[in-house]
Amino acid sequence: MRKLALVTAFCAGLFANNLVDEAAKLDVKKVCDVKANGAAKVLEVAKKFNPEAVKLGVEFTRLGISNRAYIKYTEEAIKAKKKEVVIKYKVKGEEKTKKFPTDFAAWRACVFAIRALAQVKEAEKTWRLAIPGDGFKY
Amino acid sequence: MRKTIVAGLLIGAFSVLSAGEFDAQANKDLKALKEYMEKKFATRKGAESYFPYTPKEELDKNFKWGLKGDDFRLGSYAYNKNGKEQYDEMNEMPPYEDNIDAGEELYKNTKFKNGKSFKDCFPDPAIKGEYPKFVKGKGVVTLADAINACLKENGEKPWDMAKGKMADLEAFFAHASKEKGKRYHIVINSKEAAAAYEDGKKIYYSQRGYLKLSCANCHVQGAGKRVRNEYLSPLYGQVTHFPVYRLAWEELGTLQRRIKGCEKNQGETTHKLDSKWMRDLIYFLTYMSNGLPVDGPDIRK
Repeated sequence: MRKLALVTAFCAGLFANNLVDEAAKLDVKKVCDVKANGAAKVLEVAKKFNPEAVKLGVEFTRLGISNRAYIKYTEEAIKAKKKEVVIKYKVKGEEKTKKFPTDFAAWRACVFAIRALAQVKEAEKTWRLAIPGDGFKY
Repeated sequence: MRKTIVAGLLIGAFSVLSAGEFDAQANKDLKALKEYMEKKFATRKGAESYFPYTPKEELDKNFKWGLKGDDFRLGSYAYNKNGKEQYDEMNEMPPYEDNIDAGEELYKNTKFKNGKSFKDCFPDPAIKGEYPKFVKGKGVVTLADAINACLKENGEKPWDMAKGKMADLEAFFAHASKEKGKRYHIVINSKEAAAAYEDGKKIYYSQRGYLKLSCANCHVQGAGKRVRNEYLSPLYGQVTHFPVYRLAWEELGTLQRRIKGCEKNQGETTHKLDSKWMRDLIYFLTYMSNGLPVDGPDIRK
């Protein structure tokens, strides 16, 4: 049982690293191009990568709207074949809504999901460059 | 007897050496950070290399130069002359005085259901400079964590870590520490503690959020640069004055609350105030103020 747990944890670790590596290699402009791929396919990319960003604590949130919210409400809009996504979110306990064109929301969800992970990979190489006494030269 | 004393001395020496070993990197980081900040704000001559986009007139008139060690406890007011004038005016009637009184009341007169009080958990209130601590099995424990642990151990509900009673009690602890002339003395005395420090350091220096900003972009390389009309504060001395009364909040708030605000500004989903992420970050942040005087509570814009 313990071995199984260890193997599962190891595989989960591998999978996690794979998603970060995979995101870092993607051409965001191509993958998140709604005109070329369609909003549904682009949103699938967001759904694939964003949970890992959440797990690693690096998910993007813009003006109170998390990428999870972009994904959730865009998915609902695509299913209902609506051209507009209505996102409900809270700021300081106050309920708010914001409207976006469905294509735009799908693109943003996709870009946010990939970039959040790609930055993790990038930061592995760059974070020390900002430290005085280490990589930061002045 | 003699053998016992020798063995005791050896164990003592070993533990001192071990502590030195575990905090060696953190001390090196702190020394390098202090040197960088002191050099950056040493003299007007050559300041353009650190502030290439700051107008010459601003560098001439609004900057205070020649800063050393303890000067940085004031944050950006150490070098921002206009800001310091406004800060001094605001401090003529400090808006946080009632919070210190409220904190003192909580400390001295709150009785838990079991008859105990905060005094049983914290016999000496002048402890602001000793937190966060690394506790084996628990990880980093901030002062807010310790206060909530005290409440829970005595059958009470934990407090909101951002403001209210938590900020008031922290304000009293900070005030008591300042009165006694205490300085920050954060300890890294184990491999696990050093790992938590390194984790916090990595969080601080990694670019995050949709704006791709690290904390260091603003508070190391950016310290002294202006965002709209405000000068960015330096990492060295960044936590000495918490909890703070922020004009933007119109009330007193904790360091956890301020960090949450920074995360929002960076464009990322915020972490819980008692998460490992937050605690490790505060451990690193506070270590970078080691040796500086406790200077809270205070006022900030």
